[in-house]
Amino acid sequence: MDNILEVRGLHARITGGREVLKGIDLTVAPGEVHAIMGPNGAGKSTLSSVLAGKPGYEVTDGSVLYKGVDLLAMPPDERAREGVFLAFQYPVEIPGVNNMYFLRAALNAGRRQRGQPELDAQQFLKAVKEKLKLLDIGDDLLRRAVNVGFSGGEKKRNEIFQMAMLEPNLALLDETDSGLDIDALRTVSDGVNRLRDPGRAIVMVTHYQRLLDYVVPDHVHVLADGRIVASGDKHFAAELERTGYAHLCDAA
Amino acid sequence: MLTTDDSAPFQEAYRQLLAGADQPDWLRSQRQAGMERFTALGFPTRRQEAWRFTDLDLLTAEPWRPNLDDTPSLTADLLEPWRLPGEANRLVLVNGRFDPYLSAIGALPDGVWLAPLAETVLRRPDVAAMAFGADGNAFAFLNAALFTDGAMLVLAPGTVLETPVEIIHYSMGDTHASAHPRLRVVLGAGARATLVETAVGDSNGWTNAVIDVTLGADAELTHVHIQGEGADAAHTSLLTAELGSQARYRTFAFITGACLSRRDMQIALSGPGAAFSLHGAYLLTGGQEATLAVRADHKAPDCRTEQVVKGVLQGAAHGVFLGKVAVRPGADGTDARQLNRNLLLSPSARVDTKPELEIFADEVKCSHGATVGSLDEAALFYLQARGIDPVTARSMLVAAFAADVIDAAGLDGDVDALLRRHLAHWLGGEGGLG
Repeated sequence: MDNILEVRGLHARITGGREVLKGIDLTVAPGEVHAIMGPNGAGKSTLSSVLAGKPGYEVTDGSVLYKGVDLLAMPPDERAREGVFLAFQYPVEIPGVNNMYFLRAALNAGRRQRGQPELDAQQFLKAVKEKLKLLDIGDDLLRRAVNVGFSGGEKKRNEIFQMAMLEPNLALLDETDSGLDIDALRTVSDGVNRLRDPGRAIVMVTHYQRLLDYVVPDHVHVLADGRIVASGDKHFAAELERTGYAHLCDAA
Repeated sequence: MLTTDDSAPFQEAYRQLLAGADQPDWLRSQRQAGMERFTALGFPTRRQEAWRFTDLDLLTAEPWRPNLDDTPSLTADLLEPWRLPGEANRLVLVNGRFDPYLSAIGALPDGVWLAPLAETVLRRPDVAAMAFGADGNAFAFLNAALFTDGAMLVLAPGTVLETPVEIIHYSMGDTHASAHPRLRVVLGAGARATLVETAVGDSNGWTNAVIDVTLGADAELTHVHIQGEGADAAHTSLLTAELGSQARYRTFAFITGACLSRRDMQIALSGPGAAFSLHGAYLLTGGQEATLAVRADHKAPDCRTEQVVKGVLQGAAHGVFLGKVAVRPGADGTDARQLNRNLLLSPSARVDTKPELEIFADEVKCSHGATVGSLDEAALFYLQARGIDPVTARSMLVAAFAADVIDAAGLDGDVDALLRRHLAHWLGGEGGLG
């Protein structure tokens, strides 16, 4: 089977600003979980933003193939409908837009793209109830406006809940562990683990080892100064915990 | 002062109306008083502070002769999109004249007078007399001189009219003519009613309406104004209201029509404990201009004013919000809040917003604020990152922005549904972001 993601020599900069990604190579196969670690400012969040198509970045060189197709040629909404999901580090509050309404619009947009019939309100509600259990989310959260008045933990859980609903092929988790206490981290991690699937790839961007104790990756990469400077298996994360990033960053 | 040339078409129509066989002497003198005040004042100009932002060239450049001929009949399907869902006592005026075929006034409880103004003049001159004599601006005086019909709603003390009253003025035809509907509402002490005042059409005419409201002690009026005039039409209206002690006046203004429109609201809170609320939205596209000018005059202690008005402006549209709260000496315990928020969706859209407080009393609680902004880019990306296309994403955010003021108004059933239907219609039509 094709790789889900093939990043080759990716260079990107903040529009009109400095270069942040300086030649990223990354291959992700279906079913795999990759962790991308590294110091602050290394370009971790930029990588997930560029892959999701967030405005404000400019790709200056390299290519990204998603399921064999040029990902960078697609606008962000099309990437999402094709199965790319970004769990935001800072989920955005959208006053006045009901969470359920929003999610149903998102889900049906994807279904239309795939030529599937849209879910009506009842079918949608049934799907919601199944996935809610997965993440220990009360349905009151869904009746509120998108992320408005949610606690930090609720926002992150809502991201994973959306991921569960949208069933992406490629999930990019941007610092999903940041700002979570240990109980919330456990809930979110359990949710992510349940979403591991032979047809799905997950790329987790994190600053801390902590998340990797709960969601054990197949591959661990260190991103420093815009390049992947080291890669290893799941044991590599524990090694990094002992040795730190400094010697790797110097090498970069 | 108007020059003779400017006012000639008005003068001609005015003389024709004065000569009408059905005009009692007292009405003739009201018309005369109106014409005298109008000719003395002339149209407002931008040199007057309150009219500084309003472009009246369209109205003053060439005359808009009142149409005194018989009005072509309107088909019910043109009215359908504007009608209140559910039951209503409906009074329809077409180009300033009452249309009995489209109107439907049900059985009214004792103590309620609801009828066209012209009919009231003939049948109940004592009631009709209440429709004249209020102070106004030049447009209102012109209306007094030139009105052909209108409506009167009078409730005796303690009367409750559960079924909403819907008064629709429809402007039709390629006429470039003016219509001057006149509406008078009087609620006696403790009376309660809901009024939907709709000004719509498909013409290039000018509607110049006057609405005068008096609420007795503890009376309650919910008043929704829908302005959806044709794209080449002009609309001016002056609303005056006087609130007795503990009276409650809740208004909503929903403005999407006309290429030039201005609604003036002058609210006198005259009795202690009176409450006035205005919620509203102006949703404009293309070259539309709309002004909402509100003055709340707190003359008595412990009165409340709440104003929440939102603007959505696309294309080269121009929105103007002028909101003044005046607190007279002795109006202690005043609680007044004003908020005007605007969403500019295009670089050439403009807004002028001027919330003002004028306080001459102690112990008052007043706040005012205005914002002008664009769509939240982070929210737009968030929606797109979930697969929602940019046009739908923008529409969702605009809908949320505007629906918020309908939520805040907290109106009941049919009236709330009417506003939401109009908002959805606008978002899917003129305000469509595709």
